Amino acid sequence: MALDEITPRITTFISESFLDGDPKGELTESTPLLEWEVLNSMNSALLLNFLREELRVDVPLSSINAANFRDIAAISNLVSGLMAVPAEGA
Amino acid sequence: MTLHQLVIEAAARRPGAPALSGPSGSVTYGELDATANAIAARLERQGVRRGDRVVLWAGKSPATVAAMQAILRLGAAYVPVDGSNPVARVATIARDCAARVVVTNRARIPRISAELGLEVRYEELDGPYDPAPAINAATTSEDLAYILYTSGSTGTPKGVCLTHENALAFVDWAHDLLAPGEDDRFANHAPFAFDLSVFDLYVAFRAGASVHLIPPELSFAPVQLVEFLYLERISVWYSVPSALAVMMRYGGLLDRPAPETLHTVLFAGEPFPITQLRDLAGWTGARMMNLYGPTETNVCTFHEVTKADMDRDRPVPIGIAAGGDRVWALRDDGGVAAAGEEGELVVDGPTVMSGYWGQPPQSGPYHTGDLVRTLPDGSFDYLGRRDQMVKIRGHRVELGEVESVLENHADVAEAAAVGVGEGVDTRLVVFVAPRSGRDPGVLALRQYLTQHLPRYMVADEVRISSPLPRNGNGKIDRLALAARAGGSGTSSS
Repeated sequence: MALDEITPRITTFISESFLDGDPKGELTESTPLLEWEVLNSMNSALLLNFLREELRVDVPLSSINAANFRDIAAISNLVSGLMAVPAEGA
Repeated sequence: MTLHQLVIEAAARRPGAPALSGPSGSVTYGELDATANAIAARLERQGVRRGDRVVLWAGKSPATVAAMQAILRLGAAYVPVDGSNPVARVATIARDCAARVVVTNRARIPRISAELGLEVRYEELDGPYDPAPAINAATTSEDLAYILYTSGSTGTPKGVCLTHENALAFVDWAHDLLAPGEDDRFANHAPFAFDLSVFDLYVAFRAGASVHLIPPELSFAPVQLVEFLYLERISVWYSVPSALAVMMRYGGLLDRPAPETLHTVLFAGEPFPITQLRDLAGWTGARMMNLYGPTETNVCTFHEVTKADMDRDRPVPIGIAAGGDRVWALRDDGGVAAAGEEGELVVDGPTVMSGYWGQPPQSGPYHTGDLVRTLPDGSFDYLGRRDQMVKIRGHRVELGEVESVLENHADVAEAAAVGVGEGVDTRLVVFVAPRSGRDPGVLALRQYLTQHLPRYMVADEVRISSPLPRNGNGKIDRLALAARAGGSGTSSS
């Protein structure tokens, strides 16, 4: 999956799950998701689950950090990078 | 006996033994002891003396724990504020407790000093640390050890003051109950400003065991928490049930055999749904304990989970008195609730706080505001709250505090917060009615909340609703809002 497919999937998930559909269209690729607590503890768990179930990406322990989850652009880059690595046994 | 003596003694016995590990590195007891002395020397130069308060605004790291020890060694009390807290709240807390010094990472000092100016002094948490002689100021068990700030219904946080005696009554009790050894490996899931962490740190220190810090980014990351449990070979786990529920539901915890190292699982902070506890008990043979107590009493009751509990259709009891306390349920008519009757849980004994900072000392038993039912064996079942406090993943949140913050926003006419859902699925949802002609966005409101509240009090969802629904007597209809938010509603009133 290319970056231009990943980004809208993640944006839609965040907008619908945590922002009441983002009625004013405020969410951008650079909205600071951690700083504004859009990704709080539980929402982060739900996002990781979405990445795992819907995009088939397991984020390793070492990649869970503020830099990788700062905004949609960072998350999309992380996911795209992880997708490029063939899964074990694949 | 004082709380900080535990590390001093462990360091004297086994200086090379592991004390703490976290993403930023590991330290032995000898290193922890030396760093504590080095930070204590810095703080002493800043004028910290016995009886002072020192705010510690930092993330989780061995250095943060060393700073707690340093503050105690000077006879002062530490006031832990999670690193993710907005600077405005740190300033409110520092002013409220008249802190002598704010200790934080170098990079944060300009932000906090811009708020507080010359009211307090500032000290860097970062190394390198110059070697310093051992410091251990004369301290009595009645001196304050730490102040934990919790959500206050009037819109400002309340500082719960705990003495060395309060903390040690719990730590000694828990140590005797579990008899941990020096090879035990404790997970630390809770933030340091949350009283669950008192168990992880000090019961481990008392045993000379090691503590493995879980950074906040990981604290609800399902697969990663499971990985942490195995990789760090954790033997004693303590967290809110929500964390375990997330690991079971999304992290595949139950898909692999339980780690052989894990022998004790403790949980507290909110009821653990019995179906989830059953799953956990079917997976591990570890001892399981439900601990209970508001911050004001540390832990005041406990229940060890039994096989018979698995037949229950509601969460396990909160159990019987712990920490040398006396607990009973007070009926509305003032009598003590007999078996089968309900009442408010009341606590008296050594773990009960000395009081709220800036208010008259606590005298006599503490009324928890929690409703319980007395069981035939003298233990208690938790039923719910008497007031508008809700628990979000174990953290207590006064809905009134969230609402009053929002209502201070220039574009907001009124706001109502509701807690919806059960257990791990509990969500804090706020509904906002804008002033006429104003249109604040949901993201803009979130940003505003994060500037004024600690992370756990920022709503899971912000929704615009104009006007807010009213019930027959003109009050905001919280039940309707809870229903709209997609749950039955745990909010009272």
